[in-house]
Amino acid sequence: MICDFLKTCCADPMKFIGDWFVLLPAIVLLLAGGAAVVMRNLIHAALCLTLSFIALGIVFIALGAEFVGFVQLLVYVGAVAMLIVFAILLTRPDQLTKSGSAFSGLGPAGGAAVGFVALVALLGFIFTSPLAKKPLPASASAPVADIGQALMGDYVVALLAIGVLLTAALVGAAVIAMEDKQP
Amino acid sequence: MINPLERAPIELLHWFLNLLGSFGVPQWILTVVSAVIIIGTVIGVFLGLFALMSVMERKILARAQNRYGPNRVGFFRWRLCGLFQPVADGIKMITKEDLVPRTADQVVHFLAPVVMLIPALMVLAILPYGRDMVPADLNAGILYFFAVGAGTEVAVFMAGWASNNKYSVLGGMRAIAQMISYEIPLVIAAIIAAMVSGSLSPSAIVAAQGGFAWGFLPQWFVLTPWGFVACLLFYIAALAESNRSPFDLPEGESELVAGHLTEYSGFKYAIFFMAEYVGMFAVCGLLVTLFLGGWQAPLPFLVVVPTWCWFFGKICFVAFTMVWVRATLPRLRIDHMLAFAWKFLLPMSFAAFISAACWHYAGRGPLAWLLSLAIVGVPYLILGTAFSNRFAVSRRTYQFSE
Amino acid sequence: MTLQILLAISAILFAFGLAATLSRSNSIMILIGIELMLGAANLNFISFWRFSENPSDLVGIMFAIFSIAVAAAEAAVGLAIIILVHRRLKSVEADDANNLKG
Repeated sequence: MICDFLKTCCADPMKFIGDWFVLLPAIVLLLAGGAAVVMRNLIHAALCLTLSFIALGIVFIALGAEFVGFVQLLVYVGAVAMLIVFAILLTRPDQLTKSGSAFSGLGPAGGAAVGFVALVALLGFIFTSPLAKKPLPASASAPVADIGQALMGDYVVALLAIGVLLTAALVGAAVIAMEDKQP
Repeated sequence: MINPLERAPIELLHWFLNLLGSFGVPQWILTVVSAVIIIGTVIGVFLGLFALMSVMERKILARAQNRYGPNRVGFFRWRLCGLFQPVADGIKMITKEDLVPRTADQVVHFLAPVVMLIPALMVLAILPYGRDMVPADLNAGILYFFAVGAGTEVAVFMAGWASNNKYSVLGGMRAIAQMISYEIPLVIAAIIAAMVSGSLSPSAIVAAQGGFAWGFLPQWFVLTPWGFVACLLFYIAALAESNRSPFDLPEGESELVAGHLTEYSGFKYAIFFMAEYVGMFAVCGLLVTLFLGGWQAPLPFLVVVPTWCWFFGKICFVAFTMVWVRATLPRLRIDHMLAFAWKFLLPMSFAAFISAACWHYAGRGPLAWLLSLAIVGVPYLILGTAFSNRFAVSRRTYQFSE
Repeated sequence: MTLQILLAISAILFAFGLAATLSRSNSIMILIGIELMLGAANLNFISFWRFSENPSDLVGIMFAIFSIAVAAAEAAVGLAIIILVHRRLKSVEADDANNLKG
């Protein structure tokens, strides 16, 4: 069986590499995401989350959506991950929690159970739905020029709304986190 | 009238690949070999530039301070003006003891230099080194540059936090705050050049600066009002992104020991050092591509000089000015630094953006030039006078001792 | 490389995010879980775009771009709120913010 696998690899190396170009970052993504969820040390969890963002960006690039991949890297890794890390540093949860445990609410078992149920339900839908049985088109490309035309053409209302939203979020976050002025 | 030397690197590569192909090597191995050779050449050139820069910076700083720099280390009996200093530095760095604090986070401490160096090297892939000499001609190249450059911030945080040292954490947080603040004028200045060229691909941006107006004036973006302002913004933001003086508070020896690099010694420090310089060259390269015309010659009769010579010559010139600025200006305080980014550079970058758009839509004629000059000059005068009193040196007031 | 494998990967990531949001006590970990769920949804969009019959329609790409922007805004505001709560309560545990309880 390994000989067959190697034969298919060497027959068309570019396609083989192309498939694993998507699957390898996807495996890293799942491992990093899982690690981010169970780690007790908050900074390690944030760094695993950053790794999962990077892996997700690479998956997007491998799937042909390069613009989305680069935006993912720029926004999530460069901004959101740094925000999370800054918040962890500013709130310094080194001290033990009052209950001494990193889990609360449903607890680790409850959370895992709910997650497992959701996963089983989703996988059931995925593997039985006819929508998911599409063949792979030869290639899909989204040149940046087309994305720009679409953003300024069909989706201009959404673009302006996002601008307003981001401005509001910027001003709101700055006001919320501002120190109270000394009287 | 193309100088044969200009096509020499590419012709050499093709000759070697044809040679391998004539031995029956399959096509996909040839692709891999071609990629490896190109990557090796680019990295080799930039590491050589890094080595040269480390000694030339010290010599230029020294001359600015009216003294000689390193001028002893040579080869056997010849002094060679101290140009073999990087070899001595390298041997020193490798043989130094690699100290890691016992309470430091071992894994993160080990990975931080690696995470710092990888984006700095990856970013070199999209720069056009000469005519048709881009290692990877992505059509979203500028976006790739900034997306990959975001990895540097993660590395700075990792280095600062993992050292388990208050000075390192403080230095790391200040470094990240500085990098995030100055990333916005950097990206907007790059977007201005991309907007006028109509493409995010660096080779298209270089091509948009081609040709000579009136037969002899180059049409580089830096020679337009909005381009000049955008180039300066990009330059200042690039100084801040590379943590170079006057923005080197994160590494300030007098304030924070060495900031996020305090607990790094030996080869790990050498990797940080290398990553900083390679990042500096990469961002110089992007500045040259976006505003200084890339590999284009400034005057028509200078086209005989190979294009890659022009590119590296321009990079060296910009790097020289960065060292010059380091020798000249004092270090900025952290609150001054952040205020400068958010209250001056950001509005000026918006003004340059609007100015570039107006220049394009007013037809790129004389009226457009005057209009763009006004749009960029009026905010500059207003912001300049509004902030000039704040940063003036004032009489020192003592808060706690009366 | 089938659509089902990509959707399964995104489902697993979503399940991880859901488990984190429901079971961790630190509010920043809850936010990390939310970000994982948003990332899984983005992966869904891009997978369906890749396998669509008309990729030049760019709907999946647009949705993903706007989703990333909204997630960034939400992370910023959420973390600002967490910092404010920490300033008042000196704690970021979700269980400690119980002034309105009972």
